[in-house]
Amino acid sequence: MEKSLKPRLLIGKPGLDGHDRGAKYVAQILRDAGFEVIYTGIRRSPEQIVDTAIQEDVAAIGLSLLSGAHNVLFGRVLELLRERGAEDVLVFGGGTIPPKDVPRLKEMGVAAVFTPGTPAREIVETIDGLLAQRPAV
Amino acid sequence: MERSLDQLVSEARGGGPRSQRAAARLMSVMTDQPHRLAELLAGSRDWPQPRLVLGITGAPGSGKSTLADHVVAELRALDPRRKVGVVAVDPSSPFTGGALLGDRVRMMRHATDSMVYIRSLASRGHLGGLALGAKGVVRVMGLVGCDIVVVETVGVGQSEVEIAQNADVVVVVLAPGQGDSIQMLKAGLMEAGDLFVVNKADKPDAAQLQQQLLAMLERSRTARLDLAHGASEPLVCHGPQLQGPGGPIDIQQDRPPPPMDFDEETPGVFLCSAANHQGIKEFVAALEELTTRQAALWQARRQEQAVEEIRQAVLEEVRRRVSHVLQLNGNGENQIRRILAGETTLNELVDWLMDVAASGTNAKSPAASDAKSHLRTEAAGRAEFA
Ligand SMILES: Nc1nc2c(ncn2[C@@H]2O[C@H](COP(=O)(O)OP(=O)(O)OP(=O)(O)O)[C@@H](O)[C@H]2O)c(=O)[nH]1
Ligand SMILES: [Mg+2]
Repeated sequence: MEKSLKPRLLIGKPGLDGHDRGAKYVAQILRDAGFEVIYTGIRRSPEQIVDTAIQEDVAAIGLSLLSGAHNVLFGRVLELLRERGAEDVLVFGGGTIPPKDVPRLKEMGVAAVFTPGTPAREIVETIDGLLAQRPAV
Repeated sequence: MERSLDQLVSEARGGGPRSQRAAARLMSVMTDQPHRLAELLAGSRDWPQPRLVLGITGAPGSGKSTLADHVVAELRALDPRRKVGVVAVDPSSPFTGGALLGDRVRMMRHATDSMVYIRSLASRGHLGGLALGAKGVVRVMGLVGCDIVVVETVGVGQSEVEIAQNADVVVVVLAPGQGDSIQMLKAGLMEAGDLFVVNKADKPDAAQLQQQLLAMLERSRTARLDLAHGASEPLVCHGPQLQGPGGPIDIQQDRPPPPMDFDEETPGVFLCSAANHQGIKEFVAALEELTTRQAALWQARRQEQAVEEIRQAVLEEVRRRVSHVLQLNGNGENQIRRILAGETTLNELVDWLMDVAASGTNAKSPAASDAKSHLRTEAAGRAEFA
C-alpha cells in the first residue's frame, strides 16, 4: 500500500535549562501522527539546530523553550536559516512563552506558537495545515 | 516546480555554501522518490565514492550510535581534512508510519562540523525499499567527498540486515546485559559480522561476554571449514586439456581471487568502552588497515552490483505503480472482491493492473468494461486452470 510521505520535522531544545519533557512530548505526538521526527536533545545551540535541519532536509523546526530567552533564540534560528538560504524551513515553537510575546514572535517569522496546555490535536492540525501550504520541491 | 537533478548534483559536488543543502535535497530524492531512483543510481556510477562503507549493527541500546560518534571523532582527529558521513536508521512505527529518529542525540558534537554529514532515516517497514534509498544516500555522501561512511542500523529485521550487507565491512556491536549471545546467533547477526565490538567494557560482565563470543566464533569457523572441505575440493576434469602454443593451458589460473581474504579467519573482536573512547583508536586503526588492503576490491565489487541495483530499483518502481493502481479510489478493493465472488480471475486482474500501470491512466476496470467481453475473458481464465 502506498502512503504519501509526511514531511520530516526537527524537534530541538535550545538554551541552557535542563529538562525536555515538553520537547519529548511534542516529538512523541508528531511521531504518532505519522511524521518522521528528528530529535536532537537538550541544550542545543541555534547553530547546531540549523545545521542539523539543513543536513536532515526537514520541512520544519520545532523549538521548545523554557528559559525565557525565546525572542533571542528564535531570532537567531531564523537569522541563521536566512544566512544559509533555507528560509523556506518553517519554524514553530512552544514552552513557557507569555501570550503577550506571541504577536512579536509571529512578526519575526515564527509560524506558530503553542503555549502550555495546547491540545495535541491542535498542534498536529496546525503543523499539517502550515506544511500543506508550502510549495513542493 | 521540480529542480533538475543535474543542477542538484552539480551544486552538491561544487562544495560552495549551497552544497550542503543541495546534497541534503538529493538524499531526500533518493529516499522519497523511488520513480527517480533508478535514473539517479545509474547516473551515480561515475561519482566519487567513499573508500569504506562501514555497517554498524547490533541489538537496541548496545551503543551503536555512541560507537559511530567516537569513530567519527577519531577519524576527524587523525585527518582534519577528511570528510566523514553517517547514515543512522531508526525504526518506523508499524502502526502510524511515524518515527522518532534519535541516533543524532549521541552525535550532536559533530553538528556544526562542516566535514561531517549525518543523515537520519526511518526504516519505513520492509516495503519502502529502504535498502536502495540508503544506498543512494551513501552515494550522495560519496559525491560530496566523504572518505568513510558509517551506516547504523538496529540489527533486527530483514531490511536492516539488508542495509548492513550493502556495507563493505559489517561490525556487530554486543554489550553485556543486552540479552544473551545465543539470541544474536538466532537472529543471524553472527553471520553478518566481519568484525565484532564488545562494547561497555567498563561493565563487569564485558570480559565474560567477550569469551563467549570468541568461543562461538571459533566453533562456527571450525564448522565452516569442515563444510568447505568437501565443497571446495578441486574438481578435476579428466577430459581433453586445452592446448595452447606453449602446451596445456591451466584454466585454474584465470579464476578471480576469492572476494575477501579475511573470510577464512575468525573475525576480529574488539573490546571497547565507546562512551569513554576506550579501544576506539585500536578499532579505527584496524579499519584503516583493512581499508588500505581491500579498497580496490570493494570498488570492483560495487561496480559489479550496479546491474543488480538498477534491477531492484526498477522492480521497486513497478511494485509502486501497480500498488498505486490497486489502491485507486477503492476500486482496487472492488476488483479483489470480484475475485472472491468468482467474477474474475487473479491472472486477469494482474494483466489489467499492469496495463493500467503501463498506460499511466485510470483506465476502465474490467468491471466497467462491457459484460460480454468480461465473461469471455473469464472463461479463458478458467480454461487455464482446467
Ligand atoms: N556504560 C557504558 N554505557 C554506554 C557505552 N556506550 C554507550 N553506552 C550507553 O548505552 C546507551 C545506548 O547507547 P546508544 O549509543 O544510543 O545505543 P544504540 O545501539 O545506538 O541504541 P539504538 O539506536 O536505540 O538501538 C546510552 O545510554 C549510552 O550512554 C559504554 O561504553 N559504556
Ligand atoms: Mg542508535
